[in-house]
Amino acid sequence: METPRDEKLAADLRALRPAPRPEFATELDERAAAGFPRRSRWRWTPFERLRAVQPRRLLIPAGGVAVIAIAVTTAVVAISSGGGGSSLDLSMGRSDSAAKPAHKRHPARYSAGATTLPVAPAAASAGAASEAEVEVKPFSREIKPQVHNRAVERNAELVLGADPADVADDSAKVFEAVHAHAGIVMRSSTREGEPGVAGARFELLVPSAKLGDTLAALSQIDEVRSRHEATDDITAPTVQTGELLQDSKARIDSLLAQLEGAETESEREAVEDELAAERRHRSRLRAQLQHLERRADYSRVLVRIETGASHDSSSGGTWGIDDAMGDAGHILAVAAAVAVVALAILGPIAIVALLAWLTHRAWVRRERRRILS
Amino acid sequence: MEQALVAEAKEAPRTADLAFDRLYRSSRDDVYAYVASLLRDAPAAEEVTAAAFERAYRKRNRFDPERGEPRAWLFGIARNAALDELRRRGRQAELTAEPADLDSLGAEQAAERSERRLAVSAALERLALGERELIALKFFAGLENREIARVLGISESNAGTKLHRAMTKLREACDGNA
Repeated sequence: METPRDEKLAADLRALRPAPRPEFATELDERAAAGFPRRSRWRWTPFERLRAVQPRRLLIPAGGVAVIAIAVTTAVVAISSGGGGSSLDLSMGRSDSAAKPAHKRHPARYSAGATTLPVAPAAASAGAASEAEVEVKPFSREIKPQVHNRAVERNAELVLGADPADVADDSAKVFEAVHAHAGIVMRSSTREGEPGVAGARFELLVPSAKLGDTLAALSQIDEVRSRHEATDDITAPTVQTGELLQDSKARIDSLLAQLEGAETESEREAVEDELAAERRHRSRLRAQLQHLERRADYSRVLVRIETGASHDSSSGGTWGIDDAMGDAGHILAVAAAVAVVALAILGPIAIVALLAWLTHRAWVRRERRRILS
Repeated sequence: MEQALVAEAKEAPRTADLAFDRLYRSSRDDVYAYVASLLRDAPAAEEVTAAAFERAYRKRNRFDPERGEPRAWLFGIARNAALDELRRRGRQAELTAEPADLDSLGAEQAAERSERRLAVSAALERLALGERELIALKFFAGLENREIARVLGISESNAGTKLHRAMTKLREACDGNA
């Protein structure tokens, strides 16, 4: 219950109530009528501006930006990756692009730079054959059969797509390309006829040092439908055979010394038999070593010229539902991968930002309490 | 009126604009008085008052009537703006409140009231900021204890107790001045 003294104090307090200047009140009324347009001198920081925007209004542009970013990144990744091995073959097999050489349609894939290509297992090879996808430098002079004294055997298979009318010309160009790079055409066969029937097949031996250049020249002949390369490290058998050859030579030298010192006929005959056997053994080893060295020095290349639809195209040459499903699945997989990566990047950033915001908020509240106390 | 404001705030944006306009007209001078009593700097009080209304206008669609009255919500925004201003400045400016209009009173009566109000004003100066804030919310802004509690984030009974203590302190300070 208030006493008269309290009432008087309350009245005095109300009388001391600060009143706004009429000019300020008028100005504020005008601003209120205009919907409070922003004025820079009123200290609106970017953070305050952001906070003033309704979350729903922020959500739409933020979502749009995120979707665009994911779409762009997906496109970039899909283009730069070339769609992987199987997709590479599929896209090359489309009939609508058969007329143009691959290097013209896909300059990024067939110029300088590394391309990931499927590698077929090496046939009848010794040592460790690489069957996984490996990154190679295609069609360049950087392919070296023996890197750091290692003996590496290389095999390649190239499938070209051509019109039936072009098979003969393309075959001639294959011969030219092989001879231009000091290669050897081991076997060849050419068949004329309808699309799908006409074609050619070449088994080549190409100096491994010129494999890249040769493949580059071959791939310019017509559309490249597929290309496979295999490597096989044959260093171990090469080194082992070389050592056995050295041992054999030393054994022969030893036997020759024994032959000179032989005193009886029977003793000499025994040494000569042994020497003959050892020489045969050395000949076999030398042939074996030469064979291994030839495998390292020369690469086997199989070139096929096909006509008609690509064998890799499951829809018979035209781009159909299966292709569309495959492409859509690939794009979705890439998009999902990009989204996961984006989440992995943005997640921690969002957590740090949230912590920073919470810390800032707590600090502001603490400061406000401190001022009041 | 409070119920009408609450009901209107729940309506469409156009209705929210009308409700805010009504809130502005009913609270403009109260908010200024409250902010000015905290800052004790008329130009700064004008700036902070305008900023508070601007912030409230931008947030008007986010106002949740179930969490309190519109006036309490508005004074909460004004309070944060004023405290942020104090935090920025790191100091409290001198009080520049205009003296009450005493011209209409008789000379003797006016002199007596003037002397008494000067004492009250001086006593108010000596109170802590938190106590001065309570008195400003009650007598300058005209808020009920329930609304004061909402602005300060405390219970209504706690707000009443604190206000009573502040008034007692003010009275003692006035007696000391007299």
